[in-house]
Amino acid sequence: MKKMNSVLLTVSLLAALLAGCAGGNNNPANTSNAPSDTAAPSNDGPEKTGEASGKQIKLEIIETGNNLPAPDKDIIKQELDKALNIDLNLTVYPSGDDYKNQLNVRMASGNFPDLFMVDRQQLIQFSKQGLLLDLTPYLDKLQQTVDFIGEESVKKGTVDGKVFAVSKSPQIPYQTYWIRKDWLDKLQLPVPATIEELAKTAEAFTTGDPDGNGKPDTFGLTGGKLNAFAPVFGAFGVGMPGNFYEKDGAIVNALYDPAMKDALTFIQQMVATGSVDPELLANSGLQHSEKAIKGQAGIVYLDWPNLTKEQMVEQIKTVNPNAEWLQIAPPSGPAGQNDGTWDIGATPGRYAIPKALEKDPEKLQRVFDLLNYISNPDGGSMLVQFGVKDTHYTLENGVPKMTDKASEVGYSWLYQFTGRPEMEYLQAKFALQSEYIKFASEQPRIESLGGFIDNPEGYNPADADRYIEEEFAKFIYNKRPISEYDAFIGTLESTMNYKALLDSASEQLKALGYGG
Amino acid sequence: MEAKQSYTPAPRIQPASRTQLQSALRAAWRFRAFYIMLLPGVIYFIIFRYFPMYGVIIAFKEFSIMDGIAGSAWADPWFKHFQAFYESPYFTQLLSNTLLISLYKLVWGTFPPIIVAVLLNECRVRWLKSIVQTLTYMPHFLSWVIIFGILLTLFSQNGGLVNRWIVEAGGTSIPFLTSTDYFRSILVGSEVWQNLGWGAIIYLAAMAGIDPTLYEAAKVDGASRLRMVWHITLPGIRSIIILLFVLKLGHLLDAGFDQIYILYNIQVYLVADILDTWVYRTGLQQLNFSLASAVGLFKSVIGLILVLGANRIAKKWGEGIW
Amino acid sequence: MVKGWDDKLFNGVVYTVLGLCGLAAILPILYVVSVSLTPFGEVLRNGGFILIPREITFSAYRTLLTESNIPKAFQITVLITVIGTAVNLVLTGLMAYPLSRRNLPARNFFLLMIVFTLLFSGGLIPTYLVVKSMGLLDSIWAMILPNAVWSFNVLIMKSFFEGLPEELFESARMDGAKEFRILLQIVTPLSIPVLLTVGLFYLVGHWNEFFQAIFYVTDRTLFPLQVVVREILMQSQQPLENAENMLPTQTMQMASVMIASLPVIVVYPFLQKHFTKGMLLGSIKG
Repeated sequence: MKKMNSVLLTVSLLAALLAGCAGGNNNPANTSNAPSDTAAPSNDGPEKTGEASGKQIKLEIIETGNNLPAPDKDIIKQELDKALNIDLNLTVYPSGDDYKNQLNVRMASGNFPDLFMVDRQQLIQFSKQGLLLDLTPYLDKLQQTVDFIGEESVKKGTVDGKVFAVSKSPQIPYQTYWIRKDWLDKLQLPVPATIEELAKTAEAFTTGDPDGNGKPDTFGLTGGKLNAFAPVFGAFGVGMPGNFYEKDGAIVNALYDPAMKDALTFIQQMVATGSVDPELLANSGLQHSEKAIKGQAGIVYLDWPNLTKEQMVEQIKTVNPNAEWLQIAPPSGPAGQNDGTWDIGATPGRYAIPKALEKDPEKLQRVFDLLNYISNPDGGSMLVQFGVKDTHYTLENGVPKMTDKASEVGYSWLYQFTGRPEMEYLQAKFALQSEYIKFASEQPRIESLGGFIDNPEGYNPADADRYIEEEFAKFIYNKRPISEYDAFIGTLESTMNYKALLDSASEQLKALGYGG
Repeated sequence: MEAKQSYTPAPRIQPASRTQLQSALRAAWRFRAFYIMLLPGVIYFIIFRYFPMYGVIIAFKEFSIMDGIAGSAWADPWFKHFQAFYESPYFTQLLSNTLLISLYKLVWGTFPPIIVAVLLNECRVRWLKSIVQTLTYMPHFLSWVIIFGILLTLFSQNGGLVNRWIVEAGGTSIPFLTSTDYFRSILVGSEVWQNLGWGAIIYLAAMAGIDPTLYEAAKVDGASRLRMVWHITLPGIRSIIILLFVLKLGHLLDAGFDQIYILYNIQVYLVADILDTWVYRTGLQQLNFSLASAVGLFKSVIGLILVLGANRIAKKWGEGIW
Repeated sequence: MVKGWDDKLFNGVVYTVLGLCGLAAILPILYVVSVSLTPFGEVLRNGGFILIPREITFSAYRTLLTESNIPKAFQITVLITVIGTAVNLVLTGLMAYPLSRRNLPARNFFLLMIVFTLLFSGGLIPTYLVVKSMGLLDSIWAMILPNAVWSFNVLIMKSFFEGLPEELFESARMDGAKEFRILLQIVTPLSIPVLLTVGLFYLVGHWNEFFQAIFYVTDRTLFPLQVVVREILMQSQQPLENAENMLPTQTMQMASVMIASLPVIVVYPFLQKHFTKGMLLGSIKG
């Protein structure tokens, strides 16, 4: 044993030497016990001794994200550190799964970050297990933050009546149909205003050689999986499969919406003409936008950044200088116009504080300070939105204008833990795209409520989702007749326990005041 | 246990007065240098591999992060998580997909690298050997995300190179990536491609250890090169082939999560959804550690049985791992 | 001579098949290289497929090498790889040699102990707790020690050592050579091919280090190469959540892959010639 200890000692000494700043704590962690028992939050490294200015506190924050520069090049971090006398250590994980795993092991080992992103599922589990700090008694200390994100967002971080997380202020929708104007002109077609016209245009794009290269190498419509049809579902007044929403005062699940069969029939017929991307359901990431830019597809359901940001415009023009993408309103159908659904229960992100921080009021106060500071329009909010004043942006009549150095702080959104005033922010940051941003946000959409619903016990969403998606693929590709739709619902209820979800969902939504 | 057999070969004749234990200890003492060599490695295994193994009990508990592994309540009944897995409507499909994909990969992943290694070993043109060896080694460093990109460029139904050729030749395009008919072949093919050269390395190393005098003697006897491959080269790498095969059997229920997760899509779930992808969607995304752990344990136990069985058979040929 | 005919046919088959394998490997690789050198708009204009770049740009490489965290991550990776591989080889050799002695008491116990870990593991959380309790978090050792020995490699090396002729050891033992000296002076020089092979496995393993890094390290300055590269690759797989998120183009992705794998690819040809050095064995024995 003695030998081993000395080996370990040597090893950690070496580690310290090599890593220079290796701050691994050597407290023998009490491994299996409740993490809250380990009094001292174990994640503070060696105190910075350099500055004489009293107590600089190290804060550790983790979240998903990417493109965060190294700390010495991270201007936002440096500014926040200066303003709040903290040493902010942000770590971002590009893959949501990696992040989840990291958060779980840290929670399990009592090595809590001081602020961390959680999804709804984690929020529920962690709060039920007593790992999260109940923010309800501290709300007055967080007044600035609450004002900034709004009462609705506060609700989104609530479990059983207690606030366990700060939710970002809400986003606005980005997605619409985009269509190749130059293709329409070439085939002398009008901008499709109804779903029938949409189907005809898509077909013409497939058979009419709109790119004029003499080869049948184009097709009408693409998009990310079924989202390509979001406005079509919308035209029938139906949400996306599995969505919950209010209709005529009652809560409806899209699968049970009587109009769903009509929507499916329409889509199936459209697919049968061969005018839809044959690999639609396999499009992951941004494959659909690539197909659009490459000039393969003439209609795409896509967000404005991926067709109108400078980088994208440049690509589009390289492929075809004459290409012109037109943002269009959702085509109308039997139930009017709806650009798909918009989940009003969702939030772009939630941040929680560990319960263990209760025992370190000074540090906790700094976390609050940070949240309030970045929520303060006269404080740090401008910093995390636009960077340093007069360097990255200037104020003209109170309206921020980005300078040519703005790209230096393109990552500043990583520090927007409480979100941002979405419309003003985007208008300032993407001045060139301003019209598209407004247009996308103004389209009518079905308000879906999925974000408010937590999955009940005994219901495995993974199995049910797979079944729904698989059968929808069959219906759309006419591998299963739509006349069997009711049988599909039957199986969904009997084998996948979908009833449990339905009952629980309507109960939860009623409690929130939906569905009369 | 079997371990006892090896206590005996201590060469000295044992006086009757000594007990078995004493003589065993005495024999062990003679090997003390070896045990000292083993010590650092064994310490490593105990600390980093065996100590954390208490974690498998998560499979039998309602794991709560707050209460920790030891403190969480036991699942009721103890097989609850195994049952949840068994009762999934997709259980049989998952298991058969996993086994099929894995078996294909086992067969196709074993022989091509051996053949390539033999060919490289027989290649008398130095530069060709060196170039081919390096080229076939390179795909190993492409992650599945990149390979997926390459597959799309080649096999996409719209605009994929192969389909462009097919259409130009007057055929109709084939949905290689979204059809249940082709998907497994794509999986196995891309994996074989990725690991062809990498897998050959170990056999090449084994061939380097073959006594060259054997070849010289065979040459004198006028044996053809094919005969030499059959009678000298292959027997010379036999033990490594068997070793790798036995170890691969232990992972029969790992059909390659990373690859499948990146390549599959809803239209091919029927043939491509495996245990690990299901566990990922069900267990990890929903924070159900116990379920994930139960499936992991199930896979490990099956793997252990297979390895023990395979080793027993290998032993009959004198090539057992232990 | 009939034999000459045979030989020619045999050679013909060997060269043809090897040529085909090489071709199958080179085309996709060429594609990766070409895309990494072509402006992305140009790639798209060609329907996403390019084998020979017509318009070359090093801008992706320049961006990665000057504006990303890659240079620092590169240093970390080299450090982990060098130290890690050395630690690995020493420990593995020390385990494999005794286990290759068939008469070692309790040999099967140790072998089973090793094989068992190939199949069973405690999982993420308990392993993290061990690493944490040893104070390794946020140090490069967290990326080295938890994988200091790969069971698989011990078994491979042991299997090779078993192939060494018994007489070798007996004559050495008669000389009164101690086991450590036998290992160092007789076994090691005769086992260059396997040491290189196992060394290569370890080296590549460290080079591709990613998993331990994202779990045990939160200090951005200690992130190895693959974490940074994966960040670039993963973005294209994630749904777009932020308008300001600049997605790396395929050109950028391919360039990052090239930067990350070129060094290990370059190493290989230098190792190749040593795979044949094992031929020494025959001469000693004879």
